[in-house]
Amino acid sequence: MALVPITILLPLVVGALLYALPRAPLDGVYPEPSRRARGDGWLARVIGVATAVATFAMLVAERDAQWSVRWLSRPFTAAFHFGATPVAFWIALLLALCTACAIATTRVARTRDFVALLLMLEGTMLGLFLARDLLVFALFWDLMLLPVFFGLLNWGEHPATAWRYFIYNFAGGLTLLLATAAFGVIYGSTDVIGRTGAPLVGAWAPWIFAGFAFAFLVKTPIWPLHTWMPPTYSGLPPPMVAVVSAVQSKAGLYGLLAIALPLLPNYVHQYALPLMVLAAVSLIYGAVVALVQNDAKRVVAYSSLSHLGLIVIAIASLNPLAIKGAIVYIVAHGLFSAALFMVLGYVEEREDTRSLLRLGGLGWKNPRLAGALCIAALAALGLPGLAGFVGELVILIGVYQAGYTWPVVVALIAIILASAYLIRLYQDVMNGPEVEDLPVRADLSWVEGLAVAPLLFALVALGVDPAPLLRL
Amino acid sequence: MTLPFVHADWSAVVPVGIVAATALFILIADFFAGREGQRYVSIGIGLIGIAAAGYFAARQFGHNYDAFFGGFMVGGFATVFQEIILLAAAGSLILYATIGAPQRVAGMSAIMLWSACGAMLMAGAANLMMIFLGLELLSLGLYALCAAVDRKTARESALKYLILSSTATGFLIFGFALLFGATGSIRLADLVNPYLATSPYFWIGAGMFLIGIVFKLSLVPFHTWTPDVFEGAPLPVTAFMSVVTKAGTLAVFARFIYAALPPDTAEGLLLPVWIVAGISMIAGNVGMLAQENLKRLLGYSGVAQIGYILAALAGSTPLGLRYALYYLVAYAFMNLGAFAVAAAISGEDEEGAQIASYRGLARRRPWLAAAMTVFLLALAGLPPTAGFLGKILILSSSVASGYVWLGALLIIGTAISLYAYAKVIRVMYAHDAGEAHAVRPFVPLAWVSAAICGVFVIAMTFYPLTPSNVLPLVR
Repeated sequence: MALVPITILLPLVVGALLYALPRAPLDGVYPEPSRRARGDGWLARVIGVATAVATFAMLVAERDAQWSVRWLSRPFTAAFHFGATPVAFWIALLLALCTACAIATTRVARTRDFVALLLMLEGTMLGLFLARDLLVFALFWDLMLLPVFFGLLNWGEHPATAWRYFIYNFAGGLTLLLATAAFGVIYGSTDVIGRTGAPLVGAWAPWIFAGFAFAFLVKTPIWPLHTWMPPTYSGLPPPMVAVVSAVQSKAGLYGLLAIALPLLPNYVHQYALPLMVLAAVSLIYGAVVALVQNDAKRVVAYSSLSHLGLIVIAIASLNPLAIKGAIVYIVAHGLFSAALFMVLGYVEEREDTRSLLRLGGLGWKNPRLAGALCIAALAALGLPGLAGFVGELVILIGVYQAGYTWPVVVALIAIILASAYLIRLYQDVMNGPEVEDLPVRADLSWVEGLAVAPLLFALVALGVDPAPLLRL
Repeated sequence: MTLPFVHADWSAVVPVGIVAATALFILIADFFAGREGQRYVSIGIGLIGIAAAGYFAARQFGHNYDAFFGGFMVGGFATVFQEIILLAAAGSLILYATIGAPQRVAGMSAIMLWSACGAMLMAGAANLMMIFLGLELLSLGLYALCAAVDRKTARESALKYLILSSTATGFLIFGFALLFGATGSIRLADLVNPYLATSPYFWIGAGMFLIGIVFKLSLVPFHTWTPDVFEGAPLPVTAFMSVVTKAGTLAVFARFIYAALPPDTAEGLLLPVWIVAGISMIAGNVGMLAQENLKRLLGYSGVAQIGYILAALAGSTPLGLRYALYYLVAYAFMNLGAFAVAAAISGEDEEGAQIASYRGLARRRPWLAAAMTVFLLALAGLPPTAGFLGKILILSSSVASGYVWLGALLIIGTAISLYAYAKVIRVMYAHDAGEAHAVRPFVPLAWVSAAICGVFVIAMTFYPLTPSNVLPLVR
């Protein structure tokens, strides 16, 4: 029972310790770190992976546990109430898994600080997904922005990206805050996530819904609120972008599922059409832009925009089957986008470029590298037998059942486009004539192989047997 | 003939008296201590005195004490304000002891304590005379404090403060005269008279009174003096002013709106104040954006923060006052903490006032940078700090009392302020920001006070006994 708060605190505390412990004087003078700094980096990675694995184990061990301490009694009751809802459980597992895989292959300047940041990112997001109280949810929502902000500031490609990320997402966080305060005052309690209570009605309810929806749609993101996302994803170092795209982007979707659906169902229904239109625009826009990008990371970033649009359509349709599909696809998208970003990160680290025009022919001599990218890309384009397919299929059936035909057609077009841009991505990196002047052209090391293997394995396993996710 | 002093309930003014006497002791002890010993003498005696005053004030809490024919009342929210003032005075005294020798002038700490006495009198003032007395005691000390160091900006700051503050006092006094004319009494409680709701003297008098208050709180459009005065005044004085003047004036304002308004006048009379508070949230935060000087930045930040606090009072609900007090306590800690960090990196001069001096601080002094980050996050209202919970409480108060537009303005203002606060964080942490600035050696006192403030700023968020739960508020 007490394991639940420990699950959240452990990565935060270990991360803070990694940052605070005394360090070698010349720690991380890139590109030639001192021996001590390199030793530090190794140790930090081992500790980081161990911590993430430990959180994974604790999540599995205490699947149904809850833990609560009173926080406020006025103006509304609020509690530090943690415990995984069925959906949150899977996202939290995904988070722990992605964090472990990402930390295992972290290779950046000042590795130790970076691992510390990744652990704090994990801790804050665990807090978000395990929160059963809306106010705690809002607290961790703001908190999880900070590690990414610092990551962009110190390891990003351009400081302006950090600002854009921070201001966009924090603006969302602020509307979430105002909506939460209004919700608390009207509803009397914010300890509501995962409970079956009466939905909120009244003159203020549409505004509260608008506040939540803005925050969630910025975070997901959905066109036209997405402009922070491509530079953020292409600017962040690969390990962090893997975690951010895989899990942080799900915070908004989880919010829609766990907060908007049970508490404000009328308004989701009422605004289903505008939501679907925005999501459909994201679907097509993301796919078309992904088709013409020459930056490998941006291709995946825009594909994310497209895929997450499909999930929003599923949620807005309010069809139970579509929502089941959305949950499967949330997990599947997390797995394949993390795998894609990590493999492309390995390529970038080796060849010092991620331009599709420059890369090519890497697959001939590097079967493991090519295989990993291949499986991830196939999962992303929805090949049957991999997890992405299950999610897409169930969503499309559900949305069609709910009586929406046009979104299904739009989604099908986007899925065809997805095949095009993902095959193009694979072709331009792995196939074609070998480019002789690329620096390294080496295969995956065993650590890298071990790091992506769990993600790919999970994609196959959930693709073959999605029952545990569909049964929720 | 009976003298008022004979019947005065002296126990009501014990805390104020202790602080005043402490200041005298410090002044005498300064003679005997040398130039270096002087700072330890002043904080030693000063902190003991403040602790004693704080103890006696805390004992009064929950009971009704009044003195001078009901002109001075403590025991309720006034006591909380007094404790906040004592806290800020203690923090500023510590800062005084940490700054470089050229910045320290004998007598500064004594004057600071006397100013604090003035603010404490304002906190308990229940009649017009006492308000004026407290205000003047506070302000006269501050004029001297602003000019205490020999610097052009300091003299300019003192002069500006003197002239503008006197103007505000003029408004206040004229308002008092009209209010006295309307009621024939100086007691605030006598204003609660339905007859006054139609009296033009009351409306004009109360309007002038509020203009004076708005001036002292440095709300838009009377805020332009704040950054200039903050920039010029010595660091400990800026820290002192930023909390103590706000606390004292807020106490007067709170007494006025909660206990001294004729029925059914509150909405119409106070609406301009709430509008001005809303504009201040935006204007203060916009003003921060271009600042290169930390004291100016915090000056503008204070303009916005006082707007947030007033948003809690809008609607005059009893819970609103508690939230305002909670936020004020949080604000005291985060502001004093930020000034403590600034003192910790100031050497002989005030380097800590320049944002450029924070360049690369995270590499040289990771703990100081982390503490500063916590304070800036708190000022911006980000978790895990008391600023976050304070904003939630204020937002819910404004929603509950029907002033949602104030809540919306708070959100917009906060969004603007983020850039300004995060800019300082960026300077400390970004690796591309250039060569790290040389830093002052370890300054134990400043570090300890920054650490204490940091602990409180974080703990106040999570400790379930936030003031909203424990304050059994009495008049």
